[in-house]
This record gives sequence, C-alpha cells and structure tokens, in this order.
Amino acid sequence: MSVYAEQRGIDAIFSDYERISRTLMDHKSAELNIAIFFCQQLDPNQDVNRRVLERELGKRIRFFPLPCSGRIDSLHLMRALESGADKVYVVTCPEGACHYREGNIRAKKRIAYTQGLIEEIGLERECLELIVAPVGTAVTIDELAKGLLARKAPISRSPVHGQKA
Amino acid sequence: MITAERKPLSEIKEMIAPYKKILVVGCGSCVAECASGGEKEVGLLSSQLRMDAKASGKEIDLKEMTLDRQCVYEFIDQLTDVIGQYDIVLSLACGAGVQAVAEVFPKVPIVPALNTTFLGETKEAGLWIENCRGCGDCKLGVFAAVCPVTRCAKGLFNGPCGGSKTDRCEVDPNVPCAWQLIVSRLEDMGRLDLLRKVHPPVDWSKQQGKGPRKIYREDQRA
Amino acid sequence: MITESRLKKVLQSGHFAVTAECGPPKGADPEVVKSKGRILKGYVDSVNVTDNQTGVVRLCSLAACALLNAEGLDPVLQMVTRDRNRIALQSDVLGASALGIRNILCLSGDHQSFGNQPQAKGVFDIDSIQLIQTVRNMRDAGEVIGGEKLSAPPHMFIGAAANPFADPFKYRAARLATKVDAGAEFIQTQCIYNLNRFKQWMDLVRDYGMDNKVCILGGITPLKSARMAEYMAQNVAGMDVPEEIITRMKAVPAKEQRKEGIKIAVETVEALQAVKGVRGVHIMAIEWEDAVPQIVQEAKLFPRPQV
Repeated sequence: MSVYAEQRGIDAIFSDYERISRTLMDHKSAELNIAIFFCQQLDPNQDVNRRVLERELGKRIRFFPLPCSGRIDSLHLMRALESGADKVYVVTCPEGACHYREGNIRAKKRIAYTQGLIEEIGLERECLELIVAPVGTAVTIDELAKGLLARKAPISRSPVHGQKA
Repeated sequence: MITAERKPLSEIKEMIAPYKKILVVGCGSCVAECASGGEKEVGLLSSQLRMDAKASGKEIDLKEMTLDRQCVYEFIDQLTDVIGQYDIVLSLACGAGVQAVAEVFPKVPIVPALNTTFLGETKEAGLWIENCRGCGDCKLGVFAAVCPVTRCAKGLFNGPCGGSKTDRCEVDPNVPCAWQLIVSRLEDMGRLDLLRKVHPPVDWSKQQGKGPRKIYREDQRA
Repeated sequence: MITESRLKKVLQSGHFAVTAECGPPKGADPEVVKSKGRILKGYVDSVNVTDNQTGVVRLCSLAACALLNAEGLDPVLQMVTRDRNRIALQSDVLGASALGIRNILCLSGDHQSFGNQPQAKGVFDIDSIQLIQTVRNMRDAGEVIGGEKLSAPPHMFIGAAANPFADPFKYRAARLATKVDAGAEFIQTQCIYNLNRFKQWMDLVRDYGMDNKVCILGGITPLKSARMAEYMAQNVAGMDVPEEIITRMKAVPAKEQRKEGIKIAVETVEALQAVKGVRGVHIMAIEWEDAVPQIVQEAKLFPRPQV
C-alpha cells in the first residue's frame, strides 16, 4: 500500500465513525483493548509483521500505520477511545530523526491537547501515551507492540468498553 | 475572520443537561479556520459528550453536522429535514450563526458551544490576533494600516501615550505599541506629514449604532 | 478666592515657576486635601491635583481643586480622558471654571487595568490632544465640539504632559509640536533622573522652535529609598532611572536615603534652572508633600515672587 493510501485509510475509518464504532474493537472480552498508531518509517515490513499479533489477539489490538506520526489528529485519538480502546499509543521516531522533520514534535503537541480533552471528561491522561522509538536499534512493530502489551494498564477503561453494542 | 473559543465543558454540559437528543452543528467558515467550531471540533466535542454520558450512565443521542456557513439562511435550511428529530441544537458557530439559526427555527432551543471573541487575522499557525473593531469609519489609510482603535489599548488617535516604552504597550509587554508601529511605518514611507495635524474627535455613533447596526442594499434584494 | 491663573502670571512675568502635586485621598474626607494644601501654600505657584491616578478611585480632581481654591491656592485640574466621554469632560471644564479653577492639564490617563477597577470600561472617547483642542475652542471660540455656542466661555490656562524618556524618541518633539498646535500653553514633563537624556530632548524641542511657544516645566520626584528607585526603573512605564542614581541611593544607609533623595532632587532643580528653554519645575512628591517646602528652600526658590 502506498504511503498516502494508509493515511486515507485511517481518515476513512474514523470519518465513518458511526458505522465502525461498535465494530472497531472487542467489546466482549474483559482484557484491555489497545490501539497503536505508529509511524511507518519505523518498520518497513510493518504490514507483514503486525499480522501475527492481530491473529493472536483479534480485535483486542488495532494497528494504525501513519505515513508520519505528525499526521495523527486529535480526532483519531478521540474516536479510537470512543470505539472501545482503553489505551491508545502513538509511536513516533526518535527526536531529530523524523523523516519529515517536525512530525514527531507535532504528534507530541496533539497528544497533549487530546489528553486535556479526555481529562475534562474524567479519563486519565495516561489513556493516551506517546512512545518514542529507541534510537539506533531497528525494531519491528510486533516486537514493539509486545513490549507495550506488557506495560502497566491504566486504571480506567474506555467508557464504551463493556457496554452492550 | 471572526474568532471564537470553545466554552468550558462544564458550561456546555449544564446547558444541554435537560435534553437527550442533541444536534451538534458546526460551521465551516471562520470558526473552522481558528480551530474552534469546524467539522473536526464538532467531532471532538461530540466524542467527549458521548463518552462522558456513557461514563455517567446518561442516555444521549447526538448527531454531528457542519454547515458551510451558519450565518446564511440558505445553508441553515439544510437542517430542516433533521432538526425535528432533536430536542436542542448545540451550535459551534459564532454568535452570528447561533442567532441566525434561531431566526430560522425559533421554536427549537439552541445554545452556543463557543464564546465569540474578535475579528482578527491568523498571525501564525495557532495564533490569532485581533485587528479590527468594526468602527464603521475605517481610517487605515491615514495610519499606515495599523488600526489605532483596535491595537492601541487607549484608542488614541494622536498617540503614542507617555507609557510606551521600547515599542511595547504599557498594559502588556507582549503587546507592541501600535503608535510606535504607525510612526515607524509612516517614517519609512516618508509620510509623517499625515500625523502633523491634530486628528479630531471621532464619530463613535458609527460604531455604536442605535441598537444593532444594519446594511441595506436595494440592488441585492430578491 | 483666586480669579486668575497665578501660574500664568508667574510665567508671563519671566519668573522660574514652581508647581507641585497633591494626591487626593481614597476617601471622602476634605480635610486631607486641605491639610496638604496648607503644607504647600507659599512654597509653590500652583498645585496639580491628580485624576484617579493609575485607575484607582480617589476623591475627584474637580472637588479637590475647589477645596484648594478655597484655601487660597492656585490649582491645576488634571483631567484624563479614560473615565469620561466628551459630554462629561466639556461639562466639567465649565464647572471648573465656574468654581474659579484656572488651570487644566489634559491627559489620556493610565490604562484602567492598572487600578482597583480593572473591569471598568475605559472610555477614551477623545484623547489628550483632542481634549486640549476642545478646551482651547471652548475658551477662544466659545464653542463646544460640533460648533454650538456657549453662553459664557471658560477661563483656562491649558497644559499637557510630555515624556522625554518614552519611545520613539525622535518623534516626541513632533508630538509636542502637535500638542502646542492644539493649544497647549504649558508642559509638565515626566520626572527627570537622566539629565543628559532630558537635555537631548530639550535640544530637539529648541530645534523645533518650541521653547518660544510653550512653557516647559521639568518634572522632579524625590526618591524615598533605593528600593523606590529600583521599582521605578523596572516597573513604571516610560520611566528612565539611570544606574548611577540607583547606586548612589544604595550607597547610603536606609535611614539616610530620604535625605539623599532630597539632595538629588535639589541638584536636579538647580541643573534645570541652567537648561535653556526650561521655565520651571513640577515637583511630584506623592504622599511626601512635606518634602516640597524643603526642596524649594534648598534650591533657593523661596519665597515665591509677587505677581
């Protein structure tokens, strides 16, 4: 898939919000739902690498590749939470290493803004988290995701999670 | 453009509290430009309200819509088919848009999600600054396109005042002294002569009006 | 009761004028104003009364001037355009004249956000220069704004403020010329600590030929302490307090700092008498009116001349 097709894909998913909101994530399982937005530049083989986890965990985990983390929008993050994601990660390239120069800086600002919005409705800021990929070592998206899955869970769940569809 | 900022969420929630079915309507013009009331902001606010309702066990039915301009009746008419299904309109337009919708649908409750602030320019991405106060008697030609009504804290027409220091306004060191700017621009243009004569007292009736001001154009009427 | 401006007579007869300032109280007790007047009487030619300075509500200048007038002083009504529209301003000019007040200082006023009423609407219907012109037209043409005739014109000696230390420096002389064109007859400047910068401004003023058209009174504020000097240097808009002055005040023990402040003030008065084009001094010893008689005496300007 081309870089821009990925972006269009993400926008399309979240613009058709009303249709996918109930189907995006797993609402039946008691386990945490995780959404991972990540910069494609981190793993050129991400398309293949992430399928393993997707098969293993089903709709508990959703990956959203971006042409650059700077293309993340507050709206994507809000909709992801509203679709049942309990924890949303945004994975960016290390500082100074952004292919488009400032994308990861922009991502940081938008995440901070969205954290303010979710705090207004009583959700913890930690439901959204910025992850800066480690410098130097190349990492595959599934390895990275496994690391994220092992992390401490936030105390709150998405208000949508566990509700009848 | 007209700028506005979203009201505190608590204030919005209080206004819509008695209602279940809410039509959230944004505007694609000025408020979209200043990232407070456009399609995206309608989405963000609606997501917040829905998640908040779920968390508190409240039932709520929100529909998201955005009109190209909420102050023009032709666009407002697009609400006609839907509005009957909702109890209240939560408008993300400026005050002009909110009131225009109320004129078209006077029986439907409508509340503003935004505080309309000022007429201004986008100085940088994410920074909007006031530059016009609609005085109705524009003198930008005399003042090197720096408006003394808007940009001088005291609205002086024969400035600067004694408090202007290192080209900052005495009221706020982050605000440039408009008069310093006027003088230096006119100096660069070789037109300091424009400031030689005393500028007489201003006709403020053009700004105040007698109640709301209006413009009437017979040639534009249907 | 005085029926003519003493300040005008002193200046017209070529004497070096001395004016001072009286800050009205944040209360309704007239005795406060009267007692300040008694301290100053005989040591100064005229007394300015400030008009809700820095946007803080005080006994109004018009009433305080009337009280001072009754005590036999020659008051200068300071009038800012921040708080009143043109109807009220013109009306107050007529009222002041009717009460025997003969001097007016036309100002824009400090922005309302500085005072104890920051939510007040700043009026600024007209600015200080438009006010000068308005008073001049009321007096000379017997007209209000718009041209309607007055039944009896007010008698006023018209003044304005000037700040030799604010920016843009070069433009300040041109602005002074505009004030004079509008009708300003005397000028009181912002308080002077930087004599050199003041002299540079006077050079510009003389270059414009202003020294013959308007009477300039140099402003003086005696320093109470080194801390006051520092505060003014950092926090007061349009103020220039050179480092040497601050150092000089700091070099003296706290108990002696008032004395040093008076010394500096007296030196400045004496220096101003030697500057060509300066026609007097305006001593602003706010909440320290006692300092004025001492400064006037030590600068050998007492007694005041008979006019």
